[in-house]
Amino acid sequence: MMTDSNRETLERILAESKGIHGVSLWQDAWRRLRRNKTAMISLVFLILLAVMAFITPLLPLQSPIDKDLNNRRFLPPNLQAVVMGSRADLKFEGGTLTGEMAKFDKMIVALQEDAAQTGDADEQQKIAESIQSRMEVEHPFNQLWNELDPLSWKMTEIRIAVFGDYSIPSVFGTDKLGRDLLARVFWGARVSLIVGVIAALVSLIIGVSYGAIAGYFGGHIDAAMMRLVDVLYSVPFFFVVIFLLTFLGEPDVKAWFDSVGVDQIMVFYITIGAIYWLTMSRVVRGQVLALRHEQFIEAAQTIGASPPRIIFRHLVPNVMGVVIVYLTLTIPSVMLFEAFLSFLGMGVAPPDVSWGLLLNDGIEALSIIKIFWWVVLFPGAALAFTLFALNFLGDGLRDALDPRMKNRD
Amino acid sequence: MRDLAGYILKRGLWMVLTLWVVYSISFALMRSVPGNPFSSERGMPPAIELQMKARYNLDAPIMQQYVDILKGIVFRGDMGWSYKLEDYSVNQVIAEGFPVSASLAIFALVFALILGITAGVISAVYRRTPADTALMMAAVLGIAVPNFVIASIAILLFVFMLQLFPAAGWGTLSQIALPALCLGMPIAAYIARLTRTGMLETMTKDHVRTAFAKGLPRHKVITRHVLPGALLPVVSYLGPAVARVLTGSVVLEKIFALPGMGSHFINAALQRDYTVAMGMVLIYTVLLFVMNTLVDITYSIIDPRVKLQ
Amino acid sequence: MNNTPADRSSEPLLQVQDLQVTFKTDLADVRAVRGVSFDVYPGETVGIVGESGSGKSVTNLALMGLVPKPPGRIDGGQVWYDGQNLLELDDRSMQSIRGHKIAMIFQDPMTALNPLMTVGQQLTEMTRLHLGLSKSAANDQAADMLELVGISNAKKRLRDYPHQFSGGMRQRVMIAMALSCQPDLLIADEPTTALDVTIQAQILELLRELQEKRGTSIIMITHDLGVVAEICDRVLVMYAGQVVEKAEVKELFANPQHPYTKGLLRSLPRFDQVTDSLYAIPGQPPDLGNLPAGCAFRDRCDVSVEQCSQEAPELYSLHDGRLVSCFVAKEEASNA
Repeated sequence: MMTDSNRETLERILAESKGIHGVSLWQDAWRRLRRNKTAMISLVFLILLAVMAFITPLLPLQSPIDKDLNNRRFLPPNLQAVVMGSRADLKFEGGTLTGEMAKFDKMIVALQEDAAQTGDADEQQKIAESIQSRMEVEHPFNQLWNELDPLSWKMTEIRIAVFGDYSIPSVFGTDKLGRDLLARVFWGARVSLIVGVIAALVSLIIGVSYGAIAGYFGGHIDAAMMRLVDVLYSVPFFFVVIFLLTFLGEPDVKAWFDSVGVDQIMVFYITIGAIYWLTMSRVVRGQVLALRHEQFIEAAQTIGASPPRIIFRHLVPNVMGVVIVYLTLTIPSVMLFEAFLSFLGMGVAPPDVSWGLLLNDGIEALSIIKIFWWVVLFPGAALAFTLFALNFLGDGLRDALDPRMKNRD
Repeated sequence: MRDLAGYILKRGLWMVLTLWVVYSISFALMRSVPGNPFSSERGMPPAIELQMKARYNLDAPIMQQYVDILKGIVFRGDMGWSYKLEDYSVNQVIAEGFPVSASLAIFALVFALILGITAGVISAVYRRTPADTALMMAAVLGIAVPNFVIASIAILLFVFMLQLFPAAGWGTLSQIALPALCLGMPIAAYIARLTRTGMLETMTKDHVRTAFAKGLPRHKVITRHVLPGALLPVVSYLGPAVARVLTGSVVLEKIFALPGMGSHFINAALQRDYTVAMGMVLIYTVLLFVMNTLVDITYSIIDPRVKLQ
Repeated sequence: MNNTPADRSSEPLLQVQDLQVTFKTDLADVRAVRGVSFDVYPGETVGIVGESGSGKSVTNLALMGLVPKPPGRIDGGQVWYDGQNLLELDDRSMQSIRGHKIAMIFQDPMTALNPLMTVGQQLTEMTRLHLGLSKSAANDQAADMLELVGISNAKKRLRDYPHQFSGGMRQRVMIAMALSCQPDLLIADEPTTALDVTIQAQILELLRELQEKRGTSIIMITHDLGVVAEICDRVLVMYAGQVVEKAEVKELFANPQHPYTKGLLRSLPRFDQVTDSLYAIPGQPPDLGNLPAGCAFRDRCDVSVEQCSQEAPELYSLHDGRLVSCFVAKEEASNA
């Protein structure tokens, strides 16, 4: 029974509620995050870092793997110009990369002409194979860079077209084999960041699904699943991983992995990722469990919201906050772990380069007689700043997404 | 009391189960690697190779080996012979390394707890002062710089330049101090941050307001009503912290050339000495289980709301 | 209503004059308390009523010296107790008054007790500090207090932790704690809000009984007019950080003056009338960080006049000591 005054009241309340503008969780969080200076600086730094790592092949850097044991060992940071491909032992045409590339291209063109002239299919086949093998072995890129993937190859070509033989001087100095440290730090960033991100994503996928399933079903399933997590917490994963990596290092095992098209570094990413999911699953499970009984979920059910709406409008955003925060905190610990393993000679293997490997090289070069400080400082600073930034951003996100925790600073 | 005994028993069963799984997987992996430990050493007289095989029980059928080794471990605590260190049993290797690693770990943990909690409390009490900022910057530094970098710089600085500590060796307090400090540093940093966060969070709790309303002086409120609650996250972190100390000690033993379990483990892994590596993994599993159980019991003592299960 | 007539001929126990409290937030300075004044006489119960955010809790935290600083800030005013201005006392002197002379109980008994300490530890902590009791004496006294508030088996229960008590029992423990040093004044901040209705009645009954026995003055902070009717002698109605009406309880209910008070009374459920829905005061309370000029209640008021949007009304004195902060009510009263 609806009287007029009642309808009036209801209409008035509706009108009033229209005047209230809600701020979504994310807008609100973003507003709070923007006010957090350290977090914003960190965010900008990380975005820049990711972009730089991605476009590394485009930058006029020196070769990260070209050794010069005679003239360039342990050069301190300097501004002396270095022409690409000028090292005498490379025997590049005209002492430049562009010169050698021109010569190489000419040779390939000559071969292709040969192939076009001869009518014999066998001969053609042979020449094509020879072109192929020369591209793989003799192309100047393959002497200055380590196994460029197609995209990086294209980017390097663009870089040569733009910058020619110019390269940035060794402003970070050179290492014990005469390699340019600046280039190595940049190329190392690619590996270190990818390890961190991929492993963190693996942990995210496993952790979120495991935690959500446990939290959603609750009861006995939840108890059993969480008991398993408890037990796994007591397994010394660091040692298990090393143990496993030992097996992966066996020539036969390696060969088998190669035959199925999985390289060791991939296995490495996945192994690390697979051990970092435990905490994530606990966190997500706790959140889902708590949210299922929250009043706003019940309220949403009472007013007849559909389950997908409840899940996507209410549950997911609330869990996502914690997940993102935890993700930003997982990446640094994975990167540290990679550095650890590389330091022990069990992680990324040369000629691949990562920050952990660079640090290991640097520490080996530390001695009382002559301090080659730059070989430790630059890779160390790169790693430390990245980890700082990730930690600060993680903290900032946590504060921004969870205002109740504002006091945590 | 009965709860406690039941709890320990339950954890013990889980541990045995875990150890069995770890052993089985390790065994399967070990045997799935083609060849035997000596196949690389060419030119070994067949007689000797036979003798060696007998010693490592490699001539028995595979299930027999599995059972025999398991029996050896369970009934005699014997984990067999090292594949690579001649005339060393796995037990001997562990017995040699354990005291070194254990004392390193204990020193590092104690140091991390004392330094971390003190820094965290100071930081929280004097929040938003230069002292707080400085301590928290140091803590972030401790978390973000890998401890092998800290250790290398510390060696350069304190051993070579200032000559405060001996370069290597083992046994005296001054020899243990530097590696333990380097090992404890990142953990101290983490504990400092946990303590500070815990303090600030607990200080906003209603019951702390009640304590102030009772007229308790500030220092009493902090030590009696804030600190115990603030330390709960630190106590839960102790389990992972032990794991981190064990992990970190591998690196520090390498840098400081200490004959601990960690360096043995790494050598074993690098040389594919599977028996030693497996033995170490089993020992580390036991250590972590025991430590985690202790941490859970401690937690339930501090927080009466938590029931052991 | 209270059976023990308060002795209002003597000096007031506590005098609050023109108290002002501001909270600094990211967006603006929120003026939570804007010039509140009132007296509390020995043995009486003063109710402070208002909706959430009206400044009633902050007022009382301020006179206990418990406003968190920062972000809080006392901008002005005095709180006189025992010849001293509490707002100007140093930490040590204030600590000797808190809990000892003026005690407080809080809204949520679930969180107001320390979960990691036994109830006994929390009870004796105070008496040992303020009264200098020995450990065993404090224990005995704590057991007596628990019995006084109606907890049986008191000696044994001292060793229990708060989570082993029910909500109502915990609030009894809080009351026992607050009264254990025989304070002159008890500030009860919504002591029954978090409890079941039946438990609410028991707790109010207990407070009234204890007041009779001990003659303690009580400031009862609540948004529940039912509680006011039950236990208070006088009542202050607060709105947007100010007192808008002050009256004896009977008179307030019989003849409310301020439009806000009238609205509050109209929104009470009545059992003697059949209605489909409850009355609700239209609109929202104003943003204390950005107050418009004039009367703060103007936008929600159905009798507002031109003057209301230009200047803010003072607290005008009407007949027989009633105070109201409304131009219209003042006008009506002077015409009557």
